[in-house]
Amino acid sequence: MNLGVLFSGGKDSTLAMLKASEFHKISCLITLVSENKESYMFQTPNIHITSLQAEALGLPHIIVDTKGEKEKELADLKKALAEAKAQHKIDGIVTGAVRSTYQASRIQRICHELDLWCFNPLWLKDQLELLKDVLKSGIVAMISGVFAEPLDREFLGKQLDKKMAHKLEEAEKTHGINPAGEGGEIETTVLYAPGFKKKILVKKTSVRYADFAGTCHIVEAELR
Amino acid sequence: MILIISTCSDELSELEFVKPLCEILGAKAKHYRMLTQKDLAKAEKIIISGTALKDFAYLDADWSWLKEIDKPVLGICAGMQVIAKAFGFPLEEHTAIGPRPVTIEQENPLAEGDFEAYFLHTKTGVGDFDVLAASEDIPVMIKHPQKDIYGCIFHPEVMNEEILDNFSNL
Repeated sequence: MNLGVLFSGGKDSTLAMLKASEFHKISCLITLVSENKESYMFQTPNIHITSLQAEALGLPHIIVDTKGEKEKELADLKKALAEAKAQHKIDGIVTGAVRSTYQASRIQRICHELDLWCFNPLWLKDQLELLKDVLKSGIVAMISGVFAEPLDREFLGKQLDKKMAHKLEEAEKTHGINPAGEGGEIETTVLYAPGFKKKILVKKTSVRYADFAGTCHIVEAELR
Repeated sequence: MILIISTCSDELSELEFVKPLCEILGAKAKHYRMLTQKDLAKAEKIIISGTALKDFAYLDADWSWLKEIDKPVLGICAGMQVIAKAFGFPLEEHTAIGPRPVTIEQENPLAEGDFEAYFLHTKTGVGDFDVLAASEDIPVMIKHPQKDIYGCIFHPEVMNEEILDNFSNL
């Protein structure tokens, strides 16, 4: 099958893409850029980096802007998937959905309307297992957002490596967070993954942080 | 030992519909195309998985062994459809995607009290099986009148793991 990946540039959609690529051809990446910072479907820091990631992977990239108003963003998602189907002859899509029935059911409905297969290879995956899988896969990701106690400024911009995974595991024990960020506790930006022809070099970042909520915005980056 | 039977025609779908069942129940899975009489004989209980919304290849297979088997069986979504097929019930077009409320219609060992469940199907069939639970007047959980053969058109692995635990404790 030819598949399009619903791609946010974070560890989950990247890992989902890698798993899907073991069985099928990845034909394009599809990214929704939401103006709404509260969007349940598509909000993520550093969404602009998906263009560099697509270039690094050598894959066509469909980008659709959305205002992020609750049901309107679904119409925009449908538009993006229809465009991917028409342009790249995709048979289905891949998502990095893990637990969110809100997100998964909306994507499933749109795929059903467009007669597309829908694959969610991380579905119901245990959070620690997911973290381990990310590390094992060779994905290099940085933490680009923290949104829960005890995750503070120190986490922002750091690489998601074994040591960081251990810290997140500890935070699960002390504060009950989802260590892989399923509840929105962390957001990540992938800087390298198998299939990348070049790495993303982050040259300048801007950190915004207060009371266990913050982002590390990539201001300048290049492929090298 | 519980045997999980995969109905997925695509291996990628197994990560979504079969692997979670194996992990919740600590069970092993086998694809229906590879299934042997020995597998069925060895299993104490059998769960038949669901699959992707666009996948219907499992409906072309021979599921007639379900009529002969005398051990607990739980068919989930596609698994419930193959039970309907084995017992000669027609499948009707009915689409439900996402969480929906479920009400108990008949006391049963798998679920008690009303609950919410995750649905992902476009076909269903209940025939003359007992209706254990319904959602918006549509039967969603059924049982053979005499045998321990159950069907769930929703996916208990998503929001109702206790149903799987209760089945494993039958």
